Amino acid sequence: MKIQTTLAGSYPKLPTETGDVNVRVVRNRRDQGKATEKDVADAVRETTRRMIAIQEKAGVDLVQDGCAGWDDAQTYVARGLDGVRIAGLIRYLDTNTYYRQPELVGDVRWKSSATADDFRAAKGMTSRPLKALLPGPYSLTRFSKDLHYNDPVRAGRAVGEALAKEARSLEEAGATWIHLEEPWLGKATAQDSAAVRAALAPVLADRTAKTLLHVPFGTPSAIFDSIADLPWTAIGLDLVDAAGNWDLLPKIPKGRTVALGLIDARNTRLEDSADVARSVAKAAAARPDLEFLLSPNASLEYLPADKAEAKVVLLVEAARLAARNGG
Amino acid sequence: MSRGLWTTTVGSFPKPPHLERARQQHARGEMAADALFELEREETVKLIRRQEEIGLDILVDGELYRGDMTTYFAERMPGFAISNPVRSYGNRYYRKPIAVGPIRRTKSLTVEWWKFAQAQTKQPIKGMLTGPYTMMDWSFNEHYPSREAMAMDLAAAINEEALALQEAGAKYIQIDEPAVSVRPDELPLAVKALGRAAQGLKAKTITHICYGDFDVIYPALLDLPVDQIDLEMANSRYDLLERFKKQPFTKEIGYGVLDVHNHRVETKDEVKQGILRGLEVLKPEQMYVDPDCGLKTRTMDEAFAKLEVMVQAVREVRAERGIGA
Repeated sequence: MKIQTTLAGSYPKLPTETGDVNVRVVRNRRDQGKATEKDVADAVRETTRRMIAIQEKAGVDLVQDGCAGWDDAQTYVARGLDGVRIAGLIRYLDTNTYYRQPELVGDVRWKSSATADDFRAAKGMTSRPLKALLPGPYSLTRFSKDLHYNDPVRAGRAVGEALAKEARSLEEAGATWIHLEEPWLGKATAQDSAAVRAALAPVLADRTAKTLLHVPFGTPSAIFDSIADLPWTAIGLDLVDAAGNWDLLPKIPKGRTVALGLIDARNTRLEDSADVARSVAKAAAARPDLEFLLSPNASLEYLPADKAEAKVVLLVEAARLAARNGG
Repeated sequence: MSRGLWTTTVGSFPKPPHLERARQQHARGEMAADALFELEREETVKLIRRQEEIGLDILVDGELYRGDMTTYFAERMPGFAISNPVRSYGNRYYRKPIAVGPIRRTKSLTVEWWKFAQAQTKQPIKGMLTGPYTMMDWSFNEHYPSREAMAMDLAAAINEEALALQEAGAKYIQIDEPAVSVRPDELPLAVKALGRAAQGLKAKTITHICYGDFDVIYPALLDLPVDQIDLEMANSRYDLLERFKKQPFTKEIGYGVLDVHNHRVETKDEVKQGILRGLEVLKPEQMYVDPDCGLKTRTMDEAFAKLEVMVQAVREVRAERGIGA
């Protein structure tokens, strides 16, 4: 059994080695008038190169660019959309991190790609498959304040249609995998099913790239029946914070992939790779007809850089151990 | 004449730029601890004078000597290590506590600062602590078998500090729990831990909560075993008042009337309207008027401009409604 590895969300931006480019320092210097926007762009590019190198060195199969230029998980893409205004800082769910809240103030429309150039640049830094990342349409809608549609279904559909065009721009840039970060799927109730489907359907339709719906912090069990038939390739399940996701495995349609979120991205304690491998084997035994990825349960950016790097190494070790045990 | 609408603040104030620079110099080993300490004391005295000048009723020391609200305590308690920087937003980072062993209080954490601040003024100074649930939730855990085990050890340690503040003379002790509002399923744990942290206190007890889904946790929020719950009201356009009409708020309330995430200084009429709306469903003796949250993200000028508006608005409402201080 070969189990592929990938990350989820963004990656810590700070270096672990003295002397490496530190984008935080460069941005502070820019704010003080001592560095230019080009200096910041250069630092973001070198940080991206370092993040990819960490994944390649560890042996991650499907790498990501790490979102080195993003302030948070929403606004890098949302601020490029017509009809969206970026407002004040609010807490990002139950994490002690924050994001600027998008406000839907008019018809939401895609203008131009926010992520395609970044993707092209990152693609030039690796020979491995590179997974692009976008905020999930349902979560972006829920993270936003709707001051225009006053209707979660219409708002979700509009955001979904705009992000579908962003996804198309990534495919044109060469993306073969698109990760959609969807924490709100784990918090939605059955009453939200129509809004969930309205948001997801446009983004998942007519994709040439494979799509991964990643659901950190919860289980999408309440709305799963309403999205099971949509054409997503893979679903990422948090098996650290939401043990109830084990009960969802039997419901995953045949032919799909499950990203097993078994590495805790919210705690510095390192897992035992043998324990992780046993959990992979448990999933494979439960659903031998599915394909699996192994990943952290959430963005590794919740960790300091040194601990995140250790978890990337552990992720690959555990996958290799699972493969040996399974084989 | 009824009494009420006392004015106060939530806790933190902005650090003057030269103090920020001094803290950075100290972190780089370019400034001695004694020199930084003296500067922090000088600025704390100035801050207390300014609070007196604008006429606040209950003062704070301003926490100019603290960095992050959890890390400050973790750095002084055995059982904690401190992580490398973790990002909170954009280019903002903080060092997060890691529980690596049993957490204990082995020395005073804030009492000396409280004594120093109280010695500068006749107005009461609040004792300011971070609550056990928030300390637990905002730390990594490499030691404890459960979140509850960690929270309850923290509660016992914070209780020792709270009792020491009371022994020193503190009449108001605020144990902040901003993390409570985002995990409704864990509210019973937060209640249990805060109850342990406040055990044996005769001082007025307060907890500050912010940035959460109050629709979900209210009225269970009233189970928190303190005398006063301090809430952001202005940031949510006083929406909670509608809930209070249906399910009365039965404790004292820290009634936030200033949006601390907005550079704009509120007008006096805006603040008055917010207070008057509160008086439709709350009694004046229940209400302590303050900003929505700590002011440390504002500039000093913004912070005091907002507070001056707040105090003026309270004075006018008191005069119009015949409410004494």
